[in-house]
Amino acid sequence: MSNVQPTTDPLLAARSRSYGAIVWRQLRRRTTAMVSLVVIFLLALVAVLAPFIAGEVPILWIEKGEISFPIFHYLTNLEYAGMLAFVLALLLPVTLRLVRPGAERAAASPLVRAVLIHAAICAAVLLALVVLRTEERRYGFYLERAAQAETAWFPLVPTPRFPGYDSLPLRDRPPTWQHPLGTDRMGQDVLLLILYGARTAMTIGFVAVGIGSGIGVVLGSISGYFGGWVDLITMRVTEVFMFIPRIVLIIIILAVKPAEVPALWAVVAVLGLTGWTDPYRYMRAELLRIRGEDYMTAARALGIPTWRLLLRHAVPNGMAPILVGATFGIAGAVFLEASLAFLNLVQTPSWGELLNDGRQHLGTWWAWGSAGAAIFITVLVYNLLGEAVRDAIDPKLKI
Amino acid sequence: MKTYILKRLLLMIPTLLGVTMVVYFIVRLAPGDPIEAMIRNQSGHIDPRAMKESADKIRERLGLIDYHFLRDPLFGPEKSWAAKPTGAWFWCVDSTDKVASAAVGYVQWFSRLCVGDFGESIKFRSSEGSRDPLLLLKERIPVTATLNVIAEILIFVIAIPVGFAAARYQGRWFDRVSSLVLLALYSIPVILAGTVFLGYLGMGGSGWHLFPVGNLHSFGYEKMDWVQRNLDLLWHSTLPVVCLVYGGFAYLAKMGRASLLENLRADYVRTARAKGLPEEQVVYRHALRNSLLPMITALVLAIPGLIGGSVIVETIFSIQGTGLLLVDAAKCYDLALLMAETLLYGVMTLVFLLIGDILYAWADPRVRYE
Repeated sequence: MSNVQPTTDPLLAARSRSYGAIVWRQLRRRTTAMVSLVVIFLLALVAVLAPFIAGEVPILWIEKGEISFPIFHYLTNLEYAGMLAFVLALLLPVTLRLVRPGAERAAASPLVRAVLIHAAICAAVLLALVVLRTEERRYGFYLERAAQAETAWFPLVPTPRFPGYDSLPLRDRPPTWQHPLGTDRMGQDVLLLILYGARTAMTIGFVAVGIGSGIGVVLGSISGYFGGWVDLITMRVTEVFMFIPRIVLIIIILAVKPAEVPALWAVVAVLGLTGWTDPYRYMRAELLRIRGEDYMTAARALGIPTWRLLLRHAVPNGMAPILVGATFGIAGAVFLEASLAFLNLVQTPSWGELLNDGRQHLGTWWAWGSAGAAIFITVLVYNLLGEAVRDAIDPKLKI
Repeated sequence: MKTYILKRLLLMIPTLLGVTMVVYFIVRLAPGDPIEAMIRNQSGHIDPRAMKESADKIRERLGLIDYHFLRDPLFGPEKSWAAKPTGAWFWCVDSTDKVASAAVGYVQWFSRLCVGDFGESIKFRSSEGSRDPLLLLKERIPVTATLNVIAEILIFVIAIPVGFAAARYQGRWFDRVSSLVLLALYSIPVILAGTVFLGYLGMGGSGWHLFPVGNLHSFGYEKMDWVQRNLDLLWHSTLPVVCLVYGGFAYLAKMGRASLLENLRADYVRTARAKGLPEEQVVYRHALRNSLLPMITALVLAIPGLIGGSVIVETIFSIQGTGLLLVDAAKCYDLALLMAETLLYGVMTLVFLLIGDILYAWADPRVRYE
C-alpha cells in the first residue's frame, strides 16, 4: 500500500488543499489576525536583536586601523541559539517543502518532521556552543574607551549596564532623545529594560506553552486512545493538578525554589509543568472521538502499527483545539509571568518588575506606563490571533 | 442523581490526598527552611556561607539542632512526634534522607488532620494570638469571600446584558464595538490596572484620594448602623472589585454572546418564527431563557479562577485575605498554614465544579449523570 497513486482527476486535484492551507487562507482574510502576526513577528525580532538595539557593546569598532565587531564576540551562547531559532522558524516553510516528497512513507506528518528537524538543529548548535565556546563579559570596557577609537558604532541606545557603574545620577529622567523612554529609579534606561523584558516574555510564552502543550498532547493522546486503566490513572493524576489552582501551585514552587536556579528557567519550568492540564483534556476528548471514526477503523484494518496510527492519523486530527489553546495560553503565560515578577517572586528583567517599581514611584509614569503598555499589546495580539485561529479552524470550539 | 453526587464526593478524597501530597512534598523536598527564608526576607540575597552561619546561630539559640523540627507541621518540641520516637515508622525523621522524612511527615500531618489538628503556623497569629491555621483562615475567609461575591454579582449583572445585546444585534455596530472593547478589557493586565488605581484613586497615592486601601472597614466600624456598614464596605472594596470584575466580565460576555447565537440558530427558534410569533417574544421568551441557564453554570465554574485571581488583587491592594496570606506563607515556608490554604483552595475548586455539574444537569434535562 506504500505507493499510493496521486489522484489524476484534475478537478479533484485542484480542489484538494491541505488542512493547513485552508486555515491559512481563512486567517489571511482577517485584518486583525495579520496585524497580530506582524506585531508578534516584531516582538520576536526585538527580543532576538535586543543587544543590537540597546546595550553597551559596540557593533563596529575601528581602533588603530583595525576593524572588529565586538558584539559578536560578547553575545552569549543562548543569544546565538535564540537568533538561530528565530531564523529557523522563518525557514520552516522551506523545510516543509523539502520534506513533503517523502510524506507517504514517513512516520510523522511533514509539519511535525520539519519542526523536529529544526528543533534538533537548534539543540545541536546550542550544545556545540556550550561545549566549545566560553562566554566572555567585559562590562563597560568599550564605553570607557570610546574616545580612543576612530569609529565606534554603538547600539541605537548605548546604555551602560554593568556592575559598579554609577547610574544613580541618571535616575528618574523623563524621556529624552538619549533615553527614548526615560530612565527608571535606578538610572537604567527603560527602553533597554523593556527590550530585555520582551525577551523574557517571548521566551516564557513560547517555551513554557510549548512544554505544557507537549506534555498535554503526549499524555492526552495516550490516555484517550488506549482508554481503560491507563486513562483512569492519567485522569486522576491530571485532576490532582487541575484542582490546585495554578497560581497557588506556582507561588508555592517559586517561593521554595533553590536560589541557584536562574529565575527565568524556574518560571519557564513552573509554567510549563503546571500548564499541561488543559491541552491534556482537549487532546483526550479529541482522541476519544477520533478513535471511533471510520478512517481509524480502516487504518487499523490495514494493519498499520499503533504508533504510526497515533502519529499519522489520530494526533494530527486532534491538534486544532491544542493550537487555539496554545495561542491563548501564550497570552496567559505573559500575564502570569508579569504578575509573578510583580509579586516579587522572581527576579528576571521583566515588565512586571517595572510595574512593581511603579507602585512606589508613581511619578516615573514613563517606566511603569511603557511596561504596562508592552504587556497589554502583547496579550492583546495573542488574544486577537487566538480568536482568529479559532474562527478559522472551527468557530464552534469552546475555548 | 443522589448516587452521582455521593460518588463525586467520595472521589474527592483521593484527589484531595493527591493535591495535599504534591504541595507537601514540594515544600519539604525544596532546599532551604523557614530560618533561611527569614534571613533572606530580611536581608536579601546573601552568599551561602554567611547564610549558613547566621542560620546555625539562630538554630542554636532556639535549641533546634535538627531543623526538621521546624519544618514539621506540628511545630514545637513538646508536640513534635520527632521528640518522642514511638515506633519504627518515625526513626527517619531525624535522618538526612529527605524523601523518607517527608513521607513520614506527610503521614503525621494527615493523621493529625483526621482528628482536626492542622498544626501550627510558624509566623502568623490570629487576632486572639492563636497559631491555629484554621482560626487564621477563619479570619481571612470573609474578606476574600466578600470581594469575590460582590465581583461575581457584578460580573453576572454586566456580562449577560452586554453579551446578549451583542448577539441580538450580531454584526451591527454594538456587536463590533463591544467585542473589541471586551477583548481590550480582557487584555489589560490586572497589575497595571491595580497600580493605576492605587496610585491615582487610592488614599496614600499621588492623585485624588477617593478610595481607601488596605482594609475593608473604616476605623470605628463597630459603631455604625447596618446601612452605614454596607456603604462603608462598598466604598472600601470598590477598587479591588473593579480589578476583579473587568477581566472576568469580558470573558463571560463573550460566552453569553456565543450562547445566545447558538440558540437563535436552533430549530425551535425557527419554528417559533415560522408560526408567526413577534421577534421580541421569540428572543426574550424562547432563546434568552435557554441561553441563560448555561451562563449560570459557566459563572459557577468561573468562581475558582476568580478566587485564584484575587491572590494578585489582594497583594496589590494589601487586603488581608486568604490570597495575601498564601503568598506570605509560601515566602516563609510556613508548612502548616500552606497545607491549610491548599486544602481550602482545593476543596473550593472541587465543590464549585461539582455544583457547576449539578446545575448543568438541572438546567438541561437532556443531561443525565449515572
